[in-house]
Amino acid sequence: MAPLKIVLRDLRRMVRNPLRTALLFALPLMLAGIFALVFGGGSASEISIRVLVYDEDQGLVSRLLGGAGSSPDMDRRLDLVPVGAEGFDMMERGEASALVHIPAGFTQAYLDGEPAVIPIIKNPAERFLPQVVEEGGRIGAEVLSQGSRVFRTELAAIGGMTANSAFPSDLAVGSVASGVNHKLESLERWVFPPVINLETVTVKPEITDEGEGNGSTILGYFLPGLSMMGILFLAQSATRDILHDRESGLVRHLLTAPVSPADYIVGKCLSVLVISTLGFFLLVAFGIAAGVDWGPTSTVVALVLTASLAVAGALVLVSSLVGTERQADALSTIVIMVWCLIGGAFVPVSQFPDFLRPLAKTTPVFWAVDGFQKAMQQGADIAAVSTNLLVLGGVGVIFLVLGAAALRRRMAGGLI
Amino acid sequence: MITIEGLQKHYGEIKAVDGIDLEIQDGEIFGLLGPNGAGKTTTISMISGVLRPDSGRITFDGLNIWVEPKKVKRNLGVVPQEIAVYEDLTAKDNLDFWGSLHGLRGPGLKTAVHSALERVGLQDRAKDRVKTFSGGMKRRLNLCMGLLHRPKYLLLDEPTVGIDPQARLAILDIVREVAVAGTTVLYTTHYMEEAQELCDRIAIIDHGQILTIGTLEALTRQSGESEVLKVVGSFDETAANQRLSGLPGLRLIRVEEGTVLAGIDATGPGLLEILPQVLESGLSIDDVSIQKPNLQSVFISLTGRELRD
Repeated sequence: MAPLKIVLRDLRRMVRNPLRTALLFALPLMLAGIFALVFGGGSASEISIRVLVYDEDQGLVSRLLGGAGSSPDMDRRLDLVPVGAEGFDMMERGEASALVHIPAGFTQAYLDGEPAVIPIIKNPAERFLPQVVEEGGRIGAEVLSQGSRVFRTELAAIGGMTANSAFPSDLAVGSVASGVNHKLESLERWVFPPVINLETVTVKPEITDEGEGNGSTILGYFLPGLSMMGILFLAQSATRDILHDRESGLVRHLLTAPVSPADYIVGKCLSVLVISTLGFFLLVAFGIAAGVDWGPTSTVVALVLTASLAVAGALVLVSSLVGTERQADALSTIVIMVWCLIGGAFVPVSQFPDFLRPLAKTTPVFWAVDGFQKAMQQGADIAAVSTNLLVLGGVGVIFLVLGAAALRRRMAGGLI
Repeated sequence: MITIEGLQKHYGEIKAVDGIDLEIQDGEIFGLLGPNGAGKTTTISMISGVLRPDSGRITFDGLNIWVEPKKVKRNLGVVPQEIAVYEDLTAKDNLDFWGSLHGLRGPGLKTAVHSALERVGLQDRAKDRVKTFSGGMKRRLNLCMGLLHRPKYLLLDEPTVGIDPQARLAILDIVREVAVAGTTVLYTTHYMEEAQELCDRIAIIDHGQILTIGTLEALTRQSGESEVLKVVGSFDETAANQRLSGLPGLRLIRVEEGTVLAGIDATGPGLLEILPQVLESGLSIDDVSIQKPNLQSVFISLTGRELRD
């Protein structure tokens, strides 16, 4: 029973120190909160780029461009807002990612084959979205430029038609249509069908009975990694107590009571495990409140338990290898940061260079993040993440046993 | 009864405890007096079952603490030298936890906590976190944790270090009360006055060995001196040895440049005859102080050093 009393005492200490406890959760919650605020709780596919369109030209080409931007597919990605000159002020206020300015006379210049410029004003406060608009604009300009070269004669004819107020004759229209058709036919070999067919397939494993997870949110993508980092730091704080107890004489005092060294070690290991697990569930709850779907409950619970076991074991082992609180802090911080960096807590492992990818699998962070993402994105059941669970649980048990043995040896040697 | 036989603990080449034998009778306050580094804490750590001895045997009423630790520890209260309390918990939380480890629960635990806090005068601060306590209050709480379960044996390791005289007196009073109630007390200290005031019997320890054991009276009588002289002046060691060593009834305990400690033999000519001879010895003397025999003089006569050295 003594180990349980030690666990209860440690939990009571957390309750008696609400500020300290809150600070322990502050880092992962703060990071997750920032992600939630930046990206919202919605799906990644719902991210839309707000672009102001100042169409001073109001000509044929500019209307065609506007129409292309409001196609059903583009409509999901782009929020095109027609504006006047006030658009510049709106950009000053940072109300959109970019402003596309189609100057007066643009259509005519295009039809006449004269150089034309479309200024794009980017929001300096944003990093990626204006870049997307610029690249999109570059592609559009390239298409228009090539079209201008290929259909030069026809475009000039259309320019002549629009210059006159009268309706063009059927013959003139037919001549343009025939010219366009002829050129398209001559280009057919290269353009229709394309020389290379690119087929993109997203591999989708079996869907479980509990349904497909819809956790493809930006917050959901980062939350497992951030949670692992948070729990590692939480466990670091909990294991720091072992060293504090040792340095302050509390362990020696405790051993004068009917408490064996094994009781103490089991109690402290349990404490770290319970605190890590509670912390993890708190972060899961935070994610749910922010709209993240973690996936099937049973999978998430199993992953939380085994990931907490791995984290607790690792930090107990670290604390058993060093002599002082300061050494433990230094060593465990290095371990945590390296694991998070190479385990894919911040950057997807798929983005790593080839030589680094195998290393990711040596960290519990990788197996936890991978498991959570399978649950979130594919609705994976326990069987589907069984490798992750086995690795995390196995590593946790091995680390805990090694850590407890090292602590026991230190106590026997009078080092505690 | 606490029985200690042949207790030894070495750290490499250093003999921290070198063959200690003690018998502490039921209900007595037994003092272990010695300078810092004498081996008191190592001894009490082994007796309390925290530090395993290299050799030797420690029994409480016949039960070996290293063979049946939990049985013995149920009746054992220990007050360590460090203030070993959780500062982020309240005084009551600390005692609740400590009491639960000793098997107290429910109303029994509540009553024990209340009466222990009352005994050390902390009942008004029961719900305050320990980090808000003064040093003396923390010491009293430390003591309280040792007393909570009304142990049959109480081991105190320098429990008054670093506190004000008033708090020290309060702690000594509590220890006396506990002993009167029948608890066997082992009290380590390097304060001679505490040992003199408190202890029924005293063992003087130095370099991990017991130099002598007895009551205060027996120890002072054992030294065989009626007074101890401390002579301070401007002289060197050789001159002091030459001038004073031959004086009848005077035993030189320690001689060094500018200071001489010497005992007046209880069976010799006596202070009134010896003192003038000392003053007229030709040494340049600035000050002479005379002490009645006490633990300090006993320690000096045994080791040639003062307790504070």
